[in-house]
Amino acid sequence: MVMQQSTSPSTTVRKAAARRHDTGRLMQEAAMLAPAVILLTVFLILPFLLSFWTAMTNQPLVPRPTPVRFVWFNNFIRIFQDDLFWTALWNVSRFTFWIIPAQCGLAFATALLLHQKLPFRNLLRGMFFLPAITSMVVVCVIWGTLFQYPTGPFNQILGFISGGAIQPIDWLGDPKWAMFSLVLLSAWQAYGFQMIVYLAGLQGIPDELYDAAKIDGANAFRRFWHVTMPGLRPTHVFVLVITTIQAFKLYTQVAILTQGGPKSSTETVVHYMVRAGFEEQKMGYASAVSVILFVIVLIIALIQRQLLRRFDV
Amino acid sequence: MSDIALSIPRARAAQSFSATRVLRLIQVTCIFIIALVIVSPLLLLVVASLKDDRFQILADMGSFRAFWVSIPTLSNYAEVGHLSGELAFGRYLINSLIILITTVCSGLIVNSMAGFVLAWGSLRGRAVILSIVIALYVIPQESIIMPLVIMVSRAGMADTFAVQIVPWVASPLYIFLFYQFFSQLPKELLEAAEIDGASFFRAYRSIFLPLSLPALATVSILMGIETWNQYLWPILVTQTDYARPIAVAIATFFGQDSIYWDRAMAASVLMMIPILGLYLAFQRWFVSSFIGSAVKG
Repeated sequence: MVMQQSTSPSTTVRKAAARRHDTGRLMQEAAMLAPAVILLTVFLILPFLLSFWTAMTNQPLVPRPTPVRFVWFNNFIRIFQDDLFWTALWNVSRFTFWIIPAQCGLAFATALLLHQKLPFRNLLRGMFFLPAITSMVVVCVIWGTLFQYPTGPFNQILGFISGGAIQPIDWLGDPKWAMFSLVLLSAWQAYGFQMIVYLAGLQGIPDELYDAAKIDGANAFRRFWHVTMPGLRPTHVFVLVITTIQAFKLYTQVAILTQGGPKSSTETVVHYMVRAGFEEQKMGYASAVSVILFVIVLIIALIQRQLLRRFDV
Repeated sequence: MSDIALSIPRARAAQSFSATRVLRLIQVTCIFIIALVIVSPLLLLVVASLKDDRFQILADMGSFRAFWVSIPTLSNYAEVGHLSGELAFGRYLINSLIILITTVCSGLIVNSMAGFVLAWGSLRGRAVILSIVIALYVIPQESIIMPLVIMVSRAGMADTFAVQIVPWVASPLYIFLFYQFFSQLPKELLEAAEIDGASFFRAYRSIFLPLSLPALATVSILMGIETWNQYLWPILVTQTDYARPIAVAIATFFGQDSIYWDRAMAASVLMMIPILGLYLAFQRWFVSSFIGSAVKG
């Protein structure tokens, strides 16, 4: 996030305010700030701090007569001993590895197309952004239909193109293909936001640079390589980081379409956490997973800050 | 696609060449075709939801008939639109709308007030609160959900509308967006208002808020999409039909009964309509404010 220092109008305004009763104004400010501060404290900071505490207890989902015990790092140790957790971590890493080129590539390409002067540009932008406002649940209904085995649209198209040489693929039922199928539908659903961010980035590159490059005789490709790409560096970093964080939180698609299967090939960290907390009722254990998830996200965010510092944005 | 993203947005001399014109036409056609491919799954959904026979839907899926319905019928919508009973998607839709409208309206008020105080207030500790808000942005919803479930069930909030609204009203991201927007407005506005004897709150309500339409539109759309697409949280805290949102209802129905495509599709279209309306209503401001670099990564 780029921080802009607001020019605080404190001095002048303070004098004006001092002329009137200063306390009244401060009371108003406090009253305006209070709802947000209270809500954030109760529903974000408190549960966040609690999750660290709960992660070190054997708290069940439903209160039991036996008192909750403090178990130190036992939950974490048990998580790291569980093969399924490592499978989940490996799966979200695989997912991330595939979704970055798919989603960011699509977003970048469409942004480049829509950045030009086009007739109906706003209509086109609206069309390209449609998948992004579609709820993941609806996306799963649509793509579940597209992936149907053996006679769904995708398999029909494959059969038609290859003249029947390619056997129908069980997209969501085959451990080899299930994660890849989720990558396809997730990229389609989520690229729209990145597209908007890229459009904003392209807008931010001054026209003078292109004019200068033109005068210097740079052709279209070289202008792209030496003006557009460097100008988009911070945008690239931001988009990559957002995509990575999203990918590590993969859950809804898995819960609706595959439930982590087939053969745990689409088990993810959040899915693993929800199962531990609600199917096995081990709240302490699930909280420990959520702490691990937070640490992963934090590390990615810190890497982003370092990268942006490097580019001196 | 020769001149991708490099066309200098400036009025050029009218090209008399027809060759350039033809190229341009081809280019625009290509972009439209790509757009159609991107949108085609959504078209499929709408068309399929208008077909009466669910076996026909599956049979049509592999050909161009998927995009064509000879006798459109609303029978699927009639089947799922009930307000009670087994397929009460009408009710779930109303539930979701209640949650959406309440969350977005209260979110706009709470977050914009906070953003305004952080931008122009004179309270001590503003800077600290701002840094905390920015830091909180890093915490993913998924990692606070476990303790939050225990908290709300102890407080007796489980299975209510409130439990789906109140926790997500205040949000670090939107407070920050409002803060950024308000800081970019000239400080003379506030000074003039105060000299005219307006209170701090009055300046916010009558001067700054009307000026912040683009920010309000952006936050409405972002918050609307986020609220509408909530899935993990409502699935954990709604056990009965009373406050169940449509996303959870569709997912549950789809999981049990993936054989009734027609119904799942009609329910999905129902679910798309409100958010599409919200998007179309605010799109003009949304895109311009976003691309006008209100959000600069």
